Amino acid sequence: MSAEEPESAPTRESRKSGALVSAVRWMENLGETGFAYLLLTPVFILLGAIALYPLLRTFELSLYTNVIGVGDAEWVGFEHYVDLFTGEADSNFPGTTQFLWGDVTVNGEFPFVHVERLLRSALAVTLIFTVVSVFFETLIGFGQALVLDQDFYGRRWVRVAIIIPWAIPIVIQGMIFFLMFHPSAGFATDILAPYGIVAETNTLNDPASGLLLAIVADIWKTSAFMALLILAGLQSIDRSLYDVAKVAGASRWQQFRLITFPLILPTLGVAVLFRTIDAMRIYGLIDISSSCSVVPSLSCMVVSTFTTQRGLSSAVAFVTAGVIAIAVLGVIYQQYREGF
Amino acid sequence: MASETSDGPLARWTQGVIEDTEQRNRLYRSLFYVVTLFFLVTTLFPFYWLLVLALTPNSLIRQGNWDLPFLRPQGFNWEAFVEVFQQIPFHLYVFNSFVLALITTVIVLFIASLAGYVFGRLEFPGRGVLMLGILAISYFPPAAFLVPLFEAFTGNVVVLPFVGVELFKPPRLVNTPGAMVLPFSALFLPLSIFILTTFYGQIPEGLEDAARVEGTTRLGALFRVIIPLSAPGVATASVLTFIAVYNEYFFSSIMALSNQPEQWSPLVGGILSYQTQYTTSFNLMAAASVIGVLPVVILVVVAQERIVSGLTAGALKE
Repeated sequence: MSAEEPESAPTRESRKSGALVSAVRWMENLGETGFAYLLLTPVFILLGAIALYPLLRTFELSLYTNVIGVGDAEWVGFEHYVDLFTGEADSNFPGTTQFLWGDVTVNGEFPFVHVERLLRSALAVTLIFTVVSVFFETLIGFGQALVLDQDFYGRRWVRVAIIIPWAIPIVIQGMIFFLMFHPSAGFATDILAPYGIVAETNTLNDPASGLLLAIVADIWKTSAFMALLILAGLQSIDRSLYDVAKVAGASRWQQFRLITFPLILPTLGVAVLFRTIDAMRIYGLIDISSSCSVVPSLSCMVVSTFTTQRGLSSAVAFVTAGVIAIAVLGVIYQQYREGF
Repeated sequence: MASETSDGPLARWTQGVIEDTEQRNRLYRSLFYVVTLFFLVTTLFPFYWLLVLALTPNSLIRQGNWDLPFLRPQGFNWEAFVEVFQQIPFHLYVFNSFVLALITTVIVLFIASLAGYVFGRLEFPGRGVLMLGILAISYFPPAAFLVPLFEAFTGNVVVLPFVGVELFKPPRLVNTPGAMVLPFSALFLPLSIFILTTFYGQIPEGLEDAARVEGTTRLGALFRVIIPLSAPGVATASVLTFIAVYNEYFFSSIMALSNQPEQWSPLVGGILSYQTQYTTSFNLMAAASVIGVLPVVILVVVAQERIVSGLTAGALKE
């Protein structure tokens, strides 16, 4: 079996079997640390080439302009980042997209920030999408987990039904909601528009409706993921705690509040962090169901500028990575505290 | 809620719920069924909607006379499922998706097996830091990798960042499986590593020792003892990787420069192709989506235990 190992390729001159034997012997004689790093080499190569190198190179490219034009790329330092945050770069984004929200005005009669402005900002849209969808996914996922935690006839099939949305391709998820709200094919606009929930005409080109659509579609697909994580947490709770509670005369609500919820909280935290990181990458769903110029997310802006403004595109990409890195730090801290 | 006397049935019933455990449990039970039904309807309705669209002829879809609130197909036009393959070679796109998913799964499983063995069974300095590093890298968005990868895959010279040393000129990978399999492998490798670390770590030390006494090498013990004994874990990692690749959108839509099956455009390209025809065929889009969903639905039904355990093991490191 070890003949299939590609590591430490034998030299061509020596007889094959002899080289193989010596390679195997060399490997066997490696210390545990050496052996560990030898086996990890493919991981280092793959992640180094496909993740680490691009990440560093993205940062480097973000410091240049005219990366793909005629002539040499021109060093501009942090100008792209400055442009992003001062609004100078906004004209390069599709539609009327801005990177930050412009003047967030609070007008007197309406005590909210200027919604229209907020929905044109790539950063704001990404954050709104993340917070709202993760919030509802947690809530619904919790509900689904509580249902799946019960013992009942047909539980297996209910679980299948709940998992299936999680497993379907993003393109089909987007297509379903695109068709639901399409002006000539869909039915949902007719139902929801009278209540002012979505725009009456051109629903798919309306920023607020488009964002709502993306959020609902995301909740539909990924609540199941939350449900499974929370379910695992629920099932790891010691059942005898509930027996004790029953003997002590605790009501179901008290059992939930005093046993289930505190014990599930760490799991819930991990699950929320995972989903937050994932939700901030949102791109495909928006691309299919409405479009990047209607609902500008950060990843959307990277994709829609990378063929023309590669330096700027890299800057947006690096900012996206930075925003996500904040959430990643949370996960790492959590894992570190638990101890690897 | 049996007796309806002077107090009015609602008051009696409320009283009963508060006082009578039996009645209270019945209320919980029915509430439970209502909630379950609600979740079933909300998760399955979108699929029903696809089916309705697929079976309704395109001309009737455009009229938009859905008799709300009970949506049902206008007619029974099953020919749409045949037309899907006639208008574009949809089977080729699905085939591409399958090939990409299979290649990625094989690569990921091989590399993750070695890594899972290392992390699950060996003690060495730097273990914790390396695992954290892999974890951290796996969270970065694909968008952060896009620009340099696209540059490299279109055949530009790979330059060492910040040093300016030109390393090598890669072959033009766009429109080939390589341009997708490489990013997919990197993206989905960490999850498999964590799943396999958990499973390989659980095999008792004695079994490995026994194999070693018999004269196998360390790698021999991994492939002959540990991996076969961890078959459920390997199956879990395979299923999750396969589904993840099949569902991926970002690189799938970018690395095939146009939606041609000859350029290895996967499912994404196929489903979007019905949009760019001279007329938008809603029924075909829906029918193609139904066909595209089938493989994963079958996979979920067959392998749901594996999916559940894999997702939770990968995320929670039980």
